[in-house]
Amino acid sequence: MIMPLLEVENLTKHFGGLIAVNNVCLQVEEGEIVGIIGPNGAGKTTLFNLITGYLKPDSGRIIFKGEDITGLPPNKIANKGLVRTFQIVRPFRHLPTIANILVALQSNRGRKRIEWIKTPERKAMEMLEDVGLSEMMMEPAENLSHGDLKRLEIARAMALEPELILLDEPFGGLNPIETEYMVKSIQRMHLDGHTMVIVEHKLRALMKLVERVIVIHYGEIIAEGTPEEIGKNKKVIEVYLGKGEGGLDARS
Amino acid sequence: MMIIETCKKYLRKTYTEFATHVYDIPQRMLALLILIIFLTLPYGGIDLLKTLPWLTTANIMAILAVSWDLLVGRTGQMSLGQALFYGSGAYGTALLFTYLGWPLWASIPLSILFGTGLALIIGVPCLRMKGPYLALLTMAFPLSITGFLYYFRDIFYGETGIPPPRAGRLPSLFPYPGRFSLFDKLIADYFLSFALMFISAIIIYKVATSKTGIVFVSILDDELGAKACGINVTKYKLMSFVISGIFGSLSGSLYASLQKSLANPPFFDLLNSVIPIVATILGGIGTIYGPIVGTYIYYTLDKYIFHYVIPLDKNMRLLIYIVVVVIFIIKWPRGIARAIVEKLEDLQEPREIEEIKKENVRPGE
Repeated sequence: MIMPLLEVENLTKHFGGLIAVNNVCLQVEEGEIVGIIGPNGAGKTTLFNLITGYLKPDSGRIIFKGEDITGLPPNKIANKGLVRTFQIVRPFRHLPTIANILVALQSNRGRKRIEWIKTPERKAMEMLEDVGLSEMMMEPAENLSHGDLKRLEIARAMALEPELILLDEPFGGLNPIETEYMVKSIQRMHLDGHTMVIVEHKLRALMKLVERVIVIHYGEIIAEGTPEEIGKNKKVIEVYLGKGEGGLDARS
Repeated sequence: MMIIETCKKYLRKTYTEFATHVYDIPQRMLALLILIIFLTLPYGGIDLLKTLPWLTTANIMAILAVSWDLLVGRTGQMSLGQALFYGSGAYGTALLFTYLGWPLWASIPLSILFGTGLALIIGVPCLRMKGPYLALLTMAFPLSITGFLYYFRDIFYGETGIPPPRAGRLPSLFPYPGRFSLFDKLIADYFLSFALMFISAIIIYKVATSKTGIVFVSILDDELGAKACGINVTKYKLMSFVISGIFGSLSGSLYASLQKSLANPPFFDLLNSVIPIVATILGGIGTIYGPIVGTYIYYTLDKYIFHYVIPLDKNMRLLIYIVVVVIFIIKWPRGIARAIVEKLEDLQEPREIEEIKKENVRPGE
């Protein structure tokens, strides 16, 4: 039996009386690219926070590479190769762009990876070139535009050479050209063999990328399937557009 | 044979490390310190006996301010309790000297170790806190330790402080036979404190610009982001706390042995936590060289200008130099040292980006 790379079992999280994530089970196979969609407040980011250790689940288990990682601190999870990006960019504003990546290379996992290269600076430059930021190398991160920061965020996550990367709204706040560029770099990363889970609101861009979509509503998985199946799923349309006969008319 | 080979390899590695990293003294730092020497010489010309003691004090306080800057300006761990390290360094030296009769060159390093241990013990609970809570907790430690000193009166001598065993001063680090005058001792103390300040500042600057220093700044900017990069944030915060403790206690033990010749409760005073803060904000927070300039400005105002040039009442002096400091901060909010350095860098010939790129290309690429 092939073990899935990431396995989430019956994950539940309450915030007071509110159930943010309710009994979620999902699996991610190696080499896959999975999209998670859902209306605002559906619990997508909470799910990410639970998986990467920023929140502790009330019940349920998270298994990564056959190892139980439930309740581990975020840095340990990142060092195991399960890396995330943030919906709201979190650059190190005082540091030059290249140093942002050097921070990731200074972690245990990063140091192990660059042992044989000896020059982390060169590795960091390569990471920046991959996302097209080599021009801004010495610029403090606070001078970068929002689109650049989004790309920097991804380069920083990729510097850890993750086995599974969780992207939280990689297209959030980007204009169409930047979105196109981002879609291309994610596709390239996927071709390189990276496994990815993407949370996104821009469905059009997302549907082009992913092989499998999981729909979350009020903390529960309501549908799962290929992008085509999800597009036709009545329940999903209902969640996004509302119930009743006037639903489709309201859109036009 | 294996051992010799390993030793050789290790020696070569250490030497390369030294030649490439340690020996290469940052230019800004060097320029600044040379400038300070030139600026302080004229004071000496006026009245050396009066000016040298406070210049020595300024050197010692600069070490404390620089150590505070690494912790707060670079790592973002707000501390109002730098006096804890200062006082523990002083008491460590005095205890070792009084009870065991250790010479200063042995008791200063040991009291630094003592301060480091204290930083470790206190750092673990402290660094679970953030922002203002951390600041208040760190402020509480030096205040509460004074009570401890009063309670164990027979060891610490309570309010009077630990006196030297014989009447007179603690001996200087230099042999101090009769033919040396007080004047010679003052000059020796000044240059000793200056050299130690120079070395500490260089070491802290090196740490701050190393890869570890980059991680410190990442914690200052975004702790969650650093965690997402797989950084063990607690470990690095503790590292910063300990480095700060090392140099804080060095400065305390220097002040106790060179200036006060005893250790007493005022070492844990709130003022000793506040002076580094004022100095750092004056000079430029997060620059490492800024606090040195700030300390010199502070002491020049306090001990020289409003003491000898325009003699003022003690309370009046406090009011006036606070006004001066506020004006400085309004005029140069990012620090006077930083403003000067940026002005000087603007004076350089503008260079083409291509040129800079060419310089940065490494051989073998």
